[in-house]
Amino acid sequence: MTPPNNPFIQADGKKATCMEMLQIIVDGEATSEQQEYFKNHMDRCLPCFKSYDLDMAIKQLLKSRCCGGEAPTGLIEQIKIQIKQNTPS
Amino acid sequence: MSEERIKQSYTKQEKQAVFDNEFLPHINSMYNFGFRLTLDPDDAKDLVQDTYLKAYRFIESFQKGTNAKAWLFRILKNSFINDYRKKTKEPSKVDYQEVETYYNSEDVNRQITPDLRVESLQDMIGDEISNALNSLDVDFRTVIILCDLEGFKYEEMAKILDIPIGTVRSRLHRARNLLKEKLSEYAKSMGYKNTEL
Repeated sequence: MTPPNNPFIQADGKKATCMEMLQIIVDGEATSEQQEYFKNHMDRCLPCFKSYDLDMAIKQLLKSRCCGGEAPTGLIEQIKIQIKQNTPS
Repeated sequence: MSEERIKQSYTKQEKQAVFDNEFLPHINSMYNFGFRLTLDPDDAKDLVQDTYLKAYRFIESFQKGTNAKAWLFRILKNSFINDYRKKTKEPSKVDYQEVETYYNSEDVNRQITPDLRVESLQDMIGDEISNALNSLDVDFRTVIILCDLEGFKYEEMAKILDIPIGTVRSRLHRARNLLKEKLSEYAKSMGYKNTEL
């Protein structure tokens, strides 16, 4: 069952494309109505179904592989020292 | 700082408290952002240090209770543009006109990389994803860092980058397609392209 109203209709009255919908969903910017609508849509749209999995996997991979590192040791200390030197007491 | 802001007044102790409790905890994310922008550990260190000194100096423009991380990221991004990007001989390659046109074109639903599969991604256990990200032009790299690594919302990204939300979305869309192309190349060279399934 598809909800009667498309919650992805933009201010200018244009319907969002699959890619636009997908992006809003993947980035967690969708309202609950939009999420519901997209879930129904995905059941009927194979490209969206496939892209959703891929996009989510890439997002997770980026998060797990490209962050979580630490700043060099001593950096905070250096910053604090510089601030002290530059601040008139 | 383009928006109209009422300057806060801080006592020296308050300044120190905000700096220690709200700014310094983001040091690792800030360093990662600096490193991903400059792709050099020493430059990243200088950039982060510089950003924190500016943050302290201009602390009166920081609104208590607002998103300190977004504020810091914005300063770092601006410092990068002003101090580092000028040094590089190559201008930005991103043609925004082309990006907008692309995003609004009819074939926006076309699958750019039909051969990239979730299975291939799972085999990328080395530096592939990181290298793919670093290979993107800095403007494309930046939106992926802000959105996917740091979890900023479109609205926050628009403020950090001083661009409209529509541009955030189109740039992000283009950036991800480029990233997928890169990952596809890796997948192909790793020989996973024609495996079963």
